[in-house]
Amino acid sequence: MGIRFNEVSHKYSSFSDGNLSAIYQVSLKIKAKDEFIALVGHTGSGKTTLAKHMNALIFPTEGNVEIFNKIITKKRNRDIKYNEIRKKVGLVFQFPEYQLFEETVLKDIMFGPLNFHISKEEARNLAINALKLVGLDESYSNRNPYNLSGGEKKRVSIAGILAMDPDILVLDEPTSGLDPAGKRVLMELFKDIHKRTNKTIIIITHDMDLVYEYFSRAVVMNEGELVYDGSPESLFKEHDLSKNHLDYPNTIKVLTHLNKTLKLNLNVYQKTAIDALKEIEKAGIL
Amino acid sequence: MSYIEVKGLDYSYTKNKKVLKNIDFSINKGDWVAVLGHNGSGKSTLAKAMVGLIEPSIGSIKIDGLELNQDTVYDIRRKIGIVFQNPDNQFVGVTVKDDIAFGMENLAVPREEMLKRIDFFAKKVQMEKYLDKEPSQLSGGQKQRVAIAGILAMQTDIIIFDEATSMLDPFSREDLMKYIKKLHEEGLTIIMITHDINEALLADKMLILKSGEVFAYDDSHSLMKDKDVFRNSYLELPVALEIANSLTEKKYDSVKEKLWEYVSMK
Ligand SMILES: Nc1ncnc2c1ncn2[C@@H]1O[C@H](COP(=O)(O)OP(=O)(O)OP(=O)(O)O)[C@@H](O)[C@H]1O
Ligand SMILES: Nc1ncnc2c1ncn2[C@@H]1O[C@H](COP(=O)(O)OP(=O)(O)O)[C@@H](O)[C@H]1O
Ligand SMILES: [Mg+2]
Ligand SMILES: [Mg+2]
Repeated sequence: MGIRFNEVSHKYSSFSDGNLSAIYQVSLKIKAKDEFIALVGHTGSGKTTLAKHMNALIFPTEGNVEIFNKIITKKRNRDIKYNEIRKKVGLVFQFPEYQLFEETVLKDIMFGPLNFHISKEEARNLAINALKLVGLDESYSNRNPYNLSGGEKKRVSIAGILAMDPDILVLDEPTSGLDPAGKRVLMELFKDIHKRTNKTIIIITHDMDLVYEYFSRAVVMNEGELVYDGSPESLFKEHDLSKNHLDYPNTIKVLTHLNKTLKLNLNVYQKTAIDALKEIEKAGIL
Repeated sequence: MSYIEVKGLDYSYTKNKKVLKNIDFSINKGDWVAVLGHNGSGKSTLAKAMVGLIEPSIGSIKIDGLELNQDTVYDIRRKIGIVFQNPDNQFVGVTVKDDIAFGMENLAVPREEMLKRIDFFAKKVQMEKYLDKEPSQLSGGQKQRVAIAGILAMQTDIIIFDEATSMLDPFSREDLMKYIKKLHEEGLTIIMITHDINEALLADKMLILKSGEVFAYDDSHSLMKDKDVFRNSYLELPVALEIANSLTEKKYDSVKEKLWEYVSMK
């Protein structure tokens, strides 16, 4: 088992919202390999809180989280090396600003790898390679991360986790703030890493188009509770999305519009524009 | 003369690299303009220049007849509000309430009116339960909501949204857009920086930046008819138009018409 939530609740100590928990009795199993999971849900539903438990950045206030067979509970356990866990499960924060603190981009990306006691030279090579993967050329190496545009910061924070090469990658809204081309490049990159290495990757996103096109499993949070865990296909086919503040992917919406206005009978469940196009051509409309 | 006029604007953060190059455009009162462009193309820099947070090396910005300079910057900030890309940059107060009040305080809105607006706009963005919380303890999307409420509450004539809804769920984003549409109908001039083409479709016009230059500026429909404009500036067309553009045979004319109709629905 990779990560397993056993009836985990988390109540932030400063949470003034009556007795509400940020997450409430969440149970969830994530395999050490082969998973490609989209974590979705409305603003404030508990996605980030869930993600922070995945590498023991915060501890459950009830229940426990097993991470590579280490059991994380409310109480700190001296036998558990939390830093080891954070090397195995890499987390990219929702706001890159919380992650970037070195004075150059390259130093920032090298920070993770250097913690693994590898040589500076090696760490440097890993960092330069990671920078390329996220679509930034070498001219960014010596820039101060603080002075980058929003999307550039985001890319650097993602490069950090790529250079670290953890066993499980957890990315909190990695595509928000990326331009459309960058979003594609990075999603293809994550997919490629997953295919090549079978690594488990968990991505938080609000982009239903991405959820439908790329992921094999969707986990939906609503007001702190896990309300769906299954394929994106059946999520969009069989579930009342508005109840969970979600929306349909654009392909489905567009094809539904065609069916309605032209009295067609297209199968609206197409994942990409190309699939939708094929479906229309199959109908051979006049 | 237009309501907003930007002429020959250049800007560099460091000596040898211009990040804005000869930017020229104008916006009419009541327009809704979406600003699109790749990461690092200069969108936020342009926004910062328009509210006088940075001073361009060459060129001029005129808003409602006033030329932006050190003498006019405070008058201009009464007309134009900006929601920053990173909400943290906008937070200075101890509580959510303080942060929604901050912009209004600068405009010297009377206290009673201020309290009324705090209530109203906190509700508008569904944050009324969080007024006494510390902003640092909010989720990403909740921070964005508070940042938006603070600027809406200033009730300026112009608002710049810099990727202000990037972390909102689809549902609350749509909800907010409905309200912004209403403000637009009532005369608000909107400049909306976004990477989301579906959000950009709500605008009347699109301004596309590429490597610090204006790559295209036109009404949205004319721009989207030319698919090369989008491809050549690292952007994507809406799904409906990607489909429409691939349907070349005559027998699909009715479908194409409906696909265009779909992107025109606001
Ligand atoms: N404070 C700064 N100092 C130096 N360079 C900067 C600074 N802020 C931005 N830049 C650079 O200026 C260029 C334009 O940045 P800007 O933030 O305007 O881009 P943007 O279009 O808003 O991008 P994004 O979509 O990523 O938000 C980028 O190359 C960026 O690296
Ligand atoms: N550090 C914190 N202190 C107190 N409350 C918090 C903290 N972080 C998040 N919360 C609250 O917990 C809930 C869930 O937040 P979060 O997990 O960040 O949501 P999401 O990532 O799904 O938007 C929200 O209501 C938020 O306000
Ligand atoms: Mg979050
Ligand atoms: Mg920006």
